[in-house]
Amino acid sequence: MRKGLIQATDAFERIVHWSLAISCLILCITGLGMMFQSFNFIGTIMGGLKSLKYVHNFTGLFFMATLYFTIRMWWKEAGVFSMPEDMEWMMCAGGYLWHVDKVPEVGKYNPGQKAFFLVVAGCGVMMAITGLIMWFPLSFPTELVRWMFVLHALGFVTIFAFFFVHLYLGTIGSPGSLDAMLSGWVTRAWLKKQHPKWLKEMEHEGKLVVYGEEKTSTGGHGH
Amino acid sequence: MAQKTKLIDVSKCTGCRGCQLACKQWNQQPAAQTENYGTYQNPPDLQSNTWTLIRFQEIADKDSVKWLFRKDGCMHCTDAACVKVCPSGALHYTEYGTVAINNERCIGCKECVSACPFDIPRYDRVTDKIYKCDLCLTRIQAALEPACVKACPTGALKFGDRADMLKLAYKRAAELGGNANVYGDKFVDGTHVLYVLQEKPSTYEKLPANPSVPLSIIAWKDLLKPLSLLAAGGVIAGSFLHYIIHGPKLPDEDQNHKGGE
Repeated sequence: MRKGLIQATDAFERIVHWSLAISCLILCITGLGMMFQSFNFIGTIMGGLKSLKYVHNFTGLFFMATLYFTIRMWWKEAGVFSMPEDMEWMMCAGGYLWHVDKVPEVGKYNPGQKAFFLVVAGCGVMMAITGLIMWFPLSFPTELVRWMFVLHALGFVTIFAFFFVHLYLGTIGSPGSLDAMLSGWVTRAWLKKQHPKWLKEMEHEGKLVVYGEEKTSTGGHGH
Repeated sequence: MAQKTKLIDVSKCTGCRGCQLACKQWNQQPAAQTENYGTYQNPPDLQSNTWTLIRFQEIADKDSVKWLFRKDGCMHCTDAACVKVCPSGALHYTEYGTVAINNERCIGCKECVSACPFDIPRYDRVTDKIYKCDLCLTRIQAALEPACVKACPTGALKFGDRADMLKLAYKRAAELGGNANVYGDKFVDGTHVLYVLQEKPSTYEKLPANPSVPLSIIAWKDLLKPLSLLAAGGVIAGSFLHYIIHGPKLPDEDQNHKGGE
């Protein structure tokens, strides 16, 4: 760790994030194996498509548990928009799509991230409910089950597309961001660019955890 | 290969259930202990080991009672919802246009149970697989009639080329007159099981008057399924374009930092 780096996430956040990410990825891949017959071969490495079904179903249970912690942990920071700065940020797309001289300053999560979080949370809950009903289709009315398949597929369309947006913006699209989810320590320069308001607030409150400096008080989420 | 079709003329059915037994015998399906629950229909419904069933119905008709027999079982749709949803290809079309099932590939997801507009596939908890009539595929391949047709003593069941069966069906319906009608050629692109019904289709229990591949299945399989790959591909292409046109969002003072990691 380098002196002067700032802690953006704690270990719990990173564990929950990667638990959700990996289970989501396994669900997407195994789901593809069942959605497209041309992807049936994905089941082969799991000992057949029937095993793939069980991998999908039980990973789904793990996904639900991590989704619960994800929503509980990030709801306050990423689930609620703070007006008017979030609106101003959205009006200029955060400077991501065209040149903006001065991007409105936002807190720990920008409205794009908040929207992403809300979509993942919303679709995740939908996938959990529809998935559980699809797991036991004979216990529910046929017409209901039929529409569960549609919603499950709709959720997949959304989550799968969003996954690639997230992958891009978490890596090469926004250099420096990945560190927040790997070591948890980010540079001051990156924070100034991405989350200036949060940086100011934390400094003002004396909560900022800087590597190599004495902590005044701890941040964290109280979990 | 010529399309094969089974014709069920309910007006000639005496409810002997020879077909039901022949089906069990040929497909080596055991029978379960039964009990009287007030109807001749037995077992009460199609089961994972009962692929065809004579449905008995009593209908009050002024002073008398009409007794309806209908042999229920897979209709072998040309546009089959079960084949559309089957993730493993276990349910598939045969060279005769019928719908067969390869149980080795069945993963027991039960998606076909929800999809079928005729409520035919049945799930077996013990084997965790789906079962239904395959119109005796191995017999057809050996140039034999399906077991049920072979057993039928009254000629209510006939089997042959689709065109011949259609002709026969319409001829018989015209002969019967009244409400008699041909059921099976007007929906799901035509079924490979045809009925000559004496009453309107809606009179018969568990027989949908206007069956179709459910709209939800079409939305799922024809719209959202391809869209999932299209959307992901679009996002990947969009990200690449963003990177080369707009460029990544870089911290301003990135260059001013000391330390060489």
